[in-house]
Amino acid sequence: MPHDHQHGEHEALIIEDEAGNIEAQIIIDALQQVLIGKGLLTAHEVTAAIAKLESPGLHLGAKIVAKAWTDPAYKSRLLSDGRATIQELDIPVTEARIIVVENTAQLHNLITCTLCSCYPRSILGQPPSWYISKAYRARSVREPRQVLAEFGLDLMQDIKLVVHDSTADMRYLVLPEPPHDVERYMISELQTMISRDHLIGVARGVG
Amino acid sequence: MTRFSAGDHVQVLALGKEGHVRTPHYIRHQTGRVTEYCGTYLNPEDLAVGNTSGRAVELYRVAFLQRQLWPDGAIPAQDTLIIEIYDHWLRSVKETENAP
Amino acid sequence: MQDGKGPKGYHDVGGDAAGEILMVELPWLHWEKQVEAIRGLLGDGTRRIVSLDEVRRGFESFGVEKYNTLSFYKRRLEAMTDILIEKGIVSRTELDRAIEAGKVRWPDLDEKS
Repeated sequence: MPHDHQHGEHEALIIEDEAGNIEAQIIIDALQQVLIGKGLLTAHEVTAAIAKLESPGLHLGAKIVAKAWTDPAYKSRLLSDGRATIQELDIPVTEARIIVVENTAQLHNLITCTLCSCYPRSILGQPPSWYISKAYRARSVREPRQVLAEFGLDLMQDIKLVVHDSTADMRYLVLPEPPHDVERYMISELQTMISRDHLIGVARGVG
Repeated sequence: MTRFSAGDHVQVLALGKEGHVRTPHYIRHQTGRVTEYCGTYLNPEDLAVGNTSGRAVELYRVAFLQRQLWPDGAIPAQDTLIIEIYDHWLRSVKETENAP
Repeated sequence: MQDGKGPKGYHDVGGDAAGEILMVELPWLHWEKQVEAIRGLLGDGTRRIVSLDEVRRGFESFGVEKYNTLSFYKRRLEAMTDILIEKGIVSRTELDRAIEAGKVRWPDLDEKS
């Protein structure tokens, strides 16, 4: 049985409890078994597909950003054709296109999907629960500055805020501003400074 | 040759379609400016009912002024929202004063 | 009130009033990965049985009660199952039979629910 998880004014987020998770495991196992019985799937395929789903994550996003910060030609290609340029790093992108949007001193980008949960999964893995929540999806377009403030980011009024609603075939990555002393760091150090929240746009400064 | 190009002023239609559509309620009837043509894709309205043989549709990114979308909020004049809209949900309009 | 803007699905929440964002990090469970993996396989080039667009249409039309009370991956699972049954790929009966058989493997089930 799922239950509402509510803390005072927080918008309810449906989280399965133990019984709900067990029930779901039973159902998906049953469905898988029926599909295997019909020759539509093999267990091996499912295992391999799960491994593929598990492999992307923040480390890939950080790799892309750190490369863009240290290689201006790469960055230029990234902003013009995100998918092809990301694939140069042997990252297998499955989305139709990746649009990389660049933060500057005067501009900040925020990504959302009001209709469901569109997110660059083949690069970053699964989106965080809050990204899929009704509260984020409803408010990220209407009052994004208040949403950013909830994430601890008070964006100055003179910085332009652009919200991107992923409604169709495009997927987005924010390219945060590099630290002011970016040339001091090794690429591996830069990678550790980048968080998933920077890539969605709910965090801004790096380093 | 696509129907729209970057810089064109467009209005989002309210097509009154039931079922799976990818044009959110909040953006219908709003006017904005095309920022780019994204490519041509199969229509999700067709794909949602298993029809993969429908006509492919041009997809655009369109920018709107937040202040125009949410007149009740205290929103800085320069803030914008960019959203992907399919060609058949758009029509051309005359240049508007406050376009982003 | 629609303001002449046409139908508004219950999933179409952009601009709606909503409370504070719950910033919890939930683990991604095995069954949830299985749902995504199977959906992806069924939609791949060799099968083309269920597309992501159909899954979306599924949870957008199975009713506001379900949408608001099921967790995200439960919605995906439910929508995918509905479509497979709708298309006659699997029957409700054979799925239920497999589920009942599966429950036998979880002996403490009654204690937990």
